[in-house]
Amino acid sequence: MNEKKIVEIKNMTKDYGAKGFRTKVLKGIDFTIFANDFIAIMGPSGSGKTTLLNILSTIDRPTQGFVLFHGKDIAKVSNQELSQIRRDKIGFVFQDYNLLDTMTLQDNIALPLSLNGISGKTCLERVGKLADTFGLTGHLNKYPYQLSGGQKQRGAVCRALITEPEILFADEPTGALDSKSGKDLLECFRTVNERGQAAILMVTHDAFCASYAKDVYILNDGVMRCRLSRGNDRREFYDRIMEVQASVGKDDRSSAAPNSFVPSSTAPDNIDHRKKGGDLS
Amino acid sequence: MSIGRLAFQNFRKSFHNYFSMILSLAFTVLILYNFVNLTFAETFQALGERNKEYIDIIIRVISFVLVCFMFFFIWYATNVFLTKRKKEIGIYVFMGLTNRKIGKLYMLETGLTGIVALVLGIGAGMVTTWLFQMILIWLSEIAIAISFRFTWQPIVITAVIYTPIYAFFVLKGYGNIVKSSVLEMISAARQNEYVKESGLLLLIKAALGVCILANGYALAIREDGYNVMGNLLLATVLVIVGTYLLFGGFLPILFQRLSKRKSFLYRRERTLWINNIVFRMKKNYRTYAMTCVLLTCSVTAIAAAFAEKGKYNNMVNFRNHYTFQIISDRPELEAEVTALIAEDNEIAYHGCLPFFGMDGSHFSNGYSQGIMAFSDVKRLAEDTGIDFPYESLADDELIKVSYEMLMSFVPDEKEQTIEIDGRPFHQIDKTTAPYLGYFQESHGYYIVSDSVYAELLSQCQEERLSQCQEELLSQCQAEVPADIQTYTYNYKIVDAGNFDVSREKLNGLTYTAEESYVGLVALDPDSDEIEWIKVEYSLCVFVFLVFVLASGSILFMRLYNDAFEEKERYVILQKMGISPRTLRRAAARELLAAYAMPFLLMTLSSWFSVHSLEKLISKNLKTVNLLSVVIIFLFFAVFYGLSVLFYRKNAEIL
Repeated sequence: MNEKKIVEIKNMTKDYGAKGFRTKVLKGIDFTIFANDFIAIMGPSGSGKTTLLNILSTIDRPTQGFVLFHGKDIAKVSNQELSQIRRDKIGFVFQDYNLLDTMTLQDNIALPLSLNGISGKTCLERVGKLADTFGLTGHLNKYPYQLSGGQKQRGAVCRALITEPEILFADEPTGALDSKSGKDLLECFRTVNERGQAAILMVTHDAFCASYAKDVYILNDGVMRCRLSRGNDRREFYDRIMEVQASVGKDDRSSAAPNSFVPSSTAPDNIDHRKKGGDLS
Repeated sequence: MSIGRLAFQNFRKSFHNYFSMILSLAFTVLILYNFVNLTFAETFQALGERNKEYIDIIIRVISFVLVCFMFFFIWYATNVFLTKRKKEIGIYVFMGLTNRKIGKLYMLETGLTGIVALVLGIGAGMVTTWLFQMILIWLSEIAIAISFRFTWQPIVITAVIYTPIYAFFVLKGYGNIVKSSVLEMISAARQNEYVKESGLLLLIKAALGVCILANGYALAIREDGYNVMGNLLLATVLVIVGTYLLFGGFLPILFQRLSKRKSFLYRRERTLWINNIVFRMKKNYRTYAMTCVLLTCSVTAIAAAFAEKGKYNNMVNFRNHYTFQIISDRPELEAEVTALIAEDNEIAYHGCLPFFGMDGSHFSNGYSQGIMAFSDVKRLAEDTGIDFPYESLADDELIKVSYEMLMSFVPDEKEQTIEIDGRPFHQIDKTTAPYLGYFQESHGYYIVSDSVYAELLSQCQEERLSQCQEELLSQCQAEVPADIQTYTYNYKIVDAGNFDVSREKLNGLTYTAEESYVGLVALDPDSDEIEWIKVEYSLCVFVFLVFVLASGSILFMRLYNDAFEEKERYVILQKMGISPRTLRRAAARELLAAYAMPFLLMTLSSWFSVHSLEKLISKNLKTVNLLSVVIIFLFFAVFYGLSVLFYRKNAEIL
């Protein structure tokens, strides 16, 4: 595959806690994200999803292993440079929107651009375009407390996309939304991805949400258990996800060996989904 | 766990939250203690009963002002604290605590804070008493020894003043919590501060603010004769109200407009700090207004202090320019008096000056005046080393000779036309140089040209004669002297310590007879009769410093607490990849605006307040005004620096 690698992690582990009481949250993860990917990472609470997202998005650093952003080891990059990467190349969407309540939606969306020294005119143009795409044009002068959850989250996506990042990281983006708003948001994600605006990596425990992604990875107990790829039918993909989720749950309850439920051909001991391509179906 | 233990644990754990409040409260207690202690200190008794009496009155007045200040300061501090604590302890509602119990918890925590502040304030006050008195005496330039005697009364009085005020506001907070609905308590933690005020209301507030403030300024500098004092009181009220409305209406509109001009807003960090100011304005505008009013008061206090000092110096100058002043109708006394003084004392300088009096009927203003000849005054000025900046005087010109008064409600026009017997004279200047020393304090004088002097003198002489002729006919004629002039012989001796010997001898010269008289004014150079003015001056300097420090600490406290609320926002921004450097810059600008707004309005208001003071005391105070603004600027620069440091620490954007 000639597609551009954006983030690559190799044999990455992450521990938390003081010496002698360390807990391994991630245990030897290998993972690559390419341009134009739309990936969902699923797993039960405490499986390490958010930790993985934080490391992939350069907010956190691994205990062992490498995280390469455009081939550059982030461990060797200064904090200032990391901030710059996050500012220019990465967009974030959080579960609780994290819009600043001190400013209007328009200012919230324009914030990353204006801080980058982009002219007011360009900021307004880009905000207008994104607001149009996300159906927010009539709400730009409102403060976050005047918006519904769905509007806030779409606003947060606009803010994440305003700098035209290469990749969008979303942590439970539909977690605080009702089903209609959640669906709208996921449609927006799909549109953004299909237009080639950005690769998307989202963390979720909601199978419906995950079914909008092109690939779904199941993380459990700090280990990548399997990868599922979507065909043409989203509903069928959703059923498959549910099935695998149930197997993982069953596996957890029976305390089976970690990889026992995954066919050996798809065991994600070194996941580069473009290379492997297989799934459970 | 009991409520008491929980309160103590909360207090201990979040001491850094209480830190700014404890420090500010302890500071006010320290200042009050020091002032109360002054009335009990025996230091000023060395200046004599009368001075001590005056100083005690001044200290009481200042203490009263300080108690008023303390009242508002505690009100403000407990209010800020209540809002903050309400958010934090509101969470106990979920644990099943009733409002009463939460209120009790608040009362105990705040009570502990108050007690710690009182103990710290009095403790620090006791430690600094000696230093305080030393600085006071040094500023006053008084040569007395400081007596340090420990007494309980200042401690008790300070505690008795502070405790009820503090307890009142703690109880008020308790009432507020008890009356809060459960929903209010829960939502306090997530409350959105942005309450959009109607644009029209803001506009009305802004327009009223500008109008009231402008009226206050105009009234402060208006020439209105005897109404000046009433005008000033009204101006003070108008400026305070105008300042509040300006901060509550005009500035929010200004910043809201700025935030709407995106071409202006979307430039680097502006979008962060301008939006933050707009967001916080509703909550913070009272703080800015209070700081601005306090600062304006402090500049006026320091200007008044300098005016007092100026008055003191002038009084000393007037009184001490001559040691002895002999007044007589005899023109030939100079040699005799000089010889008499020279027997015991070296004469530093001396001069003789004749004048004659004209009663009020001759003048358009109706006041009787003494008339002096230009060349006589010029000679005296040369002999006694007084500045005399006039080359010559035309026959239709005169110079008013007066002395400086502390306050004058009479409009003071340097250039005006005076009529003497219907003849117009142009008053070219008004001087307060002590040509006639002590005599100028009780009487006004005009300097006229030599020819006019001679003319008026002969006219008065004839008038006196004709009056006598009319009233008493021939009997009087013999009694009217050929020369109606009064002669003053003015001396300054070198050794003030040897003052009494010459005074005794000169007393021997004095007599009053029907046909002639010799009078003596002896001015003791070591007299400490008016030393209290110097103490008043230094106390005013202290009040200035107290107000400046209080204003700084009010702003500091506000921003210190704001930082905690900003922490969450900065975490989001850092996650978004906004560098801490950018955030630090945005925070620094926001804090700068918080300090700059009250400072700038104070600079404008103080110009008007000092200008009105200038009119009251007829003294140029522009330098004092400028200097005090510079001093406040320096203090604020330090407070700003500290605020930036603590803000970064509390908001975790290091």
